[in-house]
Amino acid sequence: MTTLWNVIRVNTKKEYVEMKRYFANTLSLLLTFYIIFLAMFFGIQVIGDPAEAGANTQFIIVNYIFWYFAMMTLQSIGWTVSDEAMRGTLEQLYMSPMGAWRILLSRLSGMIFIHFLIVILLLFLSMLTTGEWLNLNPAATIPILLLTIASMIGVGFMIAGLSIIFKQISAFLQILQFIIMGLTFVPLSVAPYLIAAPFVKGVDMTRQIMIHNYTLADFSISDYSWLIANAVVYGIIGVSVYLACERYAMKKGLLGHY
Amino acid sequence: MDSIIKVDGIRKIYKMRKTKEIFVAVDDVSFEVEKGEILGLLGPNGAGKTTTIKTICGLLVPDEGAVTINGFDSVKKRNKALRHISAVLEGNRNLYWRMTVEENLEYFAGNRGMSRKAMKPHIDKLLEQFRLKEKRQELVNKLSRGMQQKLAIAVAMLADTDVILLDEPTLGLDVETGYEVREILRSIAKKEGKTIIISTHDMPVVQDLCERTVIINNGRVIADESVDHLLQLFKTSAYQISLKEPITDEQQEMLKFEFPLHSWKGLDLQVSLEEEQEIYALMDILKRNHTPIETINRTEINFEKVFMQLVKEEAAS
Repeated sequence: MTTLWNVIRVNTKKEYVEMKRYFANTLSLLLTFYIIFLAMFFGIQVIGDPAEAGANTQFIIVNYIFWYFAMMTLQSIGWTVSDEAMRGTLEQLYMSPMGAWRILLSRLSGMIFIHFLIVILLLFLSMLTTGEWLNLNPAATIPILLLTIASMIGVGFMIAGLSIIFKQISAFLQILQFIIMGLTFVPLSVAPYLIAAPFVKGVDMTRQIMIHNYTLADFSISDYSWLIANAVVYGIIGVSVYLACERYAMKKGLLGHY
Repeated sequence: MDSIIKVDGIRKIYKMRKTKEIFVAVDDVSFEVEKGEILGLLGPNGAGKTTTIKTICGLLVPDEGAVTINGFDSVKKRNKALRHISAVLEGNRNLYWRMTVEENLEYFAGNRGMSRKAMKPHIDKLLEQFRLKEKRQELVNKLSRGMQQKLAIAVAMLADTDVILLDEPTLGLDVETGYEVREILRSIAKKEGKTIIISTHDMPVVQDLCERTVIINNGRVIADESVDHLLQLFKTSAYQISLKEPITDEQQEMLKFEFPLHSWKGLDLQVSLEEEQEIYALMDILKRNHTPIETINRTEINFEKVFMQLVKEEAAS
């Protein structure tokens, strides 16, 4: 456990150091996201129903925050794998007796932690811009968020597995942005079949807390069952798919090739 | 002496995606490496060295055969095997260029599960040993190629494994830094008893550093001998005969038939004899047209010549 903690610690530090060194890139990423938010917000002001402007704005803030967070989580291991292969460091990660998947999981945990802080900043910035204040209720939000992140990590690992084999998956990652947008923006009341899709249930429950002031006691057993099942199933499938891709790449000699 | 690495009959086949053509990268490659030994793994480009190295590192699964490191199978017990081996596979590309020297060392040590407290004295020692102490806060992209290469080796040393595998450790280095790297490796092997496998095209490195060499060509081991023995073997059989006049076409044909691996440098004939008596057959050919001979000398042999000769012989057979 201590050794795993050391892996998490150095990977989090590495993420922070690289974000700091590529500061212009980090800053432009944040600005782009803020500008996208402003576009959504003013779009709603212009074309939306003025009577429901407040509710719509709150809805957009939550969805937009989750869109950013899901995108960073899902895409980051995929980017990491192709970037490390291009730099020539991927095989070094595979030379660690800790197992590459643990290193990637640690890297992802570090990224999630840093992006979580960015998300909080973006959240307050959006609330400040719009004047619409959401119910944050950390005691209710954090447990649901953790389970939601587990399913995001699962999907992230599936993408990482594909990156190991194909390396050049940037086109797919770009399309993925829109799929994630659909999954985070469309509420379950409109598309109930999306309950089985990754992280949708979690996003829906968080929306209830932040917009409609729900507490943990307001959710049913069925809600929790879907949330937990979603986290466990996607988490396990994700890591299994990744390990299968890793084995395939080792058999075909694809590790480290770019 | 105990073997720490056993490569046992590994075979790896690649199937080309488009043409469906089959390419045999390595075929029945076997050798052992003893504890504390410095082994040179040689071969021309495309000979199968990288496939062999990656299989030893557990980065590639062989189709047949197996590799064991300190008794652990590199595929079935991969994580246990990796506790005994570290590698520099892509030289300075193995590093994070936008991180400092110290950050790189800390990162790779942490990735092996080392705590901050445990890694500190180890990192200090390596910075001292590799003369990188003054550069510890320098970004890797600001370092010279030689320093980057030294750092890559230091990163491999961090794990404190029994075996270190180095792919082209002196590639692109100037003479001075190449020599420095060589001295560091020699001291690592001698003082710390590490087993080192070096894959290289740099023959002076092999001649200077390695005790034994495994030469691979066309996916097969064509020589597995001590460097000294190979040098001795070729020293006694290589001759240079300086002629005063060129030989006739008829003599040339006979030479080709009897000594297919001979070569010319102007009027100097260079030839390797399998047996000492063959010198008489060579003299008979030259005598046919009374070709005047200036001198006959045993050739000064270096490892590069040995390597070239072995590869040529294998191609001819």
